[in-house]
Amino acid sequence: MTRTRKLGLVMLAAGLCFGPPAALAQTQIYDARTKKWVNYDKKKARQYYARNNQLPEAFRRQVVPFRTAEKPGTIIIDGNQHFLYLVQPGGQAIRYGIGVGREGFGWAGIVRVGRTAEWPTWTPPPEMVARDANAAKWAAGMPGGPDNPLGARALYLYEGDQDTIYRIHGTVEPWTIGLDVSSGCIRLNNDDVTDLHSRVEVGAKVIVLMQGAALYKGV
Amino acid sequence: MRSKSWILAAGIGLAFLGGCQSSSPPKPEEMARTSLQTAPADLQLICANAAAGTAQVDSSKVLPTSSRQLDAASYSVDLDAGGRKFNCIVDSNGSVKSVQPAA
Repeated sequence: MTRTRKLGLVMLAAGLCFGPPAALAQTQIYDARTKKWVNYDKKKARQYYARNNQLPEAFRRQVVPFRTAEKPGTIIIDGNQHFLYLVQPGGQAIRYGIGVGREGFGWAGIVRVGRTAEWPTWTPPPEMVARDANAAKWAAGMPGGPDNPLGARALYLYEGDQDTIYRIHGTVEPWTIGLDVSSGCIRLNNDDVTDLHSRVEVGAKVIVLMQGAALYKGV
Repeated sequence: MRSKSWILAAGIGLAFLGGCQSSSPPKPEEMARTSLQTAPADLQLICANAAAGTAQVDSSKVLPTSSRQLDAASYSVDLDAGGRKFNCIVDSNGSVKSVQPAA
């Protein structure tokens, strides 16, 4: 791959992964205090995280029953319900809460983990550089670190040998887990993406389920 | 007498409402939901596996594209199997009831 093409892919991926939020479908969480289901949007999510310093229980990492013929190590993403499952032996999976693409940016398909990175570099897309002075200073790439929008780890999703430009990555905005916020990337909080990264092998199958997907990959 | 009947009916109604409110909370892993009411991911993939057999294609080429709850115990899942469309009915225990080419 030429350097120009690589740079183009990085720019496109950065543009795909960050964007203004919008809802695909109304998410609700159960409020154990009031015993009622309440709408969960960006405002509510920020309030909840500020108050509790953690995500609502459903979006926290947990082992759940999962009946599947897929082999352990397979990643299954339910974009509509905001969950990522890592298949385990014995009819179980580790479930992580995720943030996904906003309306018009959801995608579905069967891909694989092509490569991974710890504290990945982020390069803002040209349009962000043009309008945002803070992004402009990172036009040549922001080194990995606690302020990097890709967070602690990134899993790069490939279709065959081609980078799809979509990633599973961490975030500096943990309250966005459970929401439709990105332009197609799948985000986890940093603890979760670090845990996932430690368990996943390059080459792992990734099945992305998303009703109303704007795009299909690998099928 | 008439007012006594009214009070009795109101009491029954309140008791019913109280019963609704005190129903047990969902399990921790079920404390989030969306308005889409799609089938659980594992049930969608069980259908994909079944459709691969029916369509005689590699299961890696079968993808659930949409799903919906039919009733308390079953779901309908639409699938793309290498370009061919199928519909699958699966119950909440993971038992596939039917796989048919979509009309």
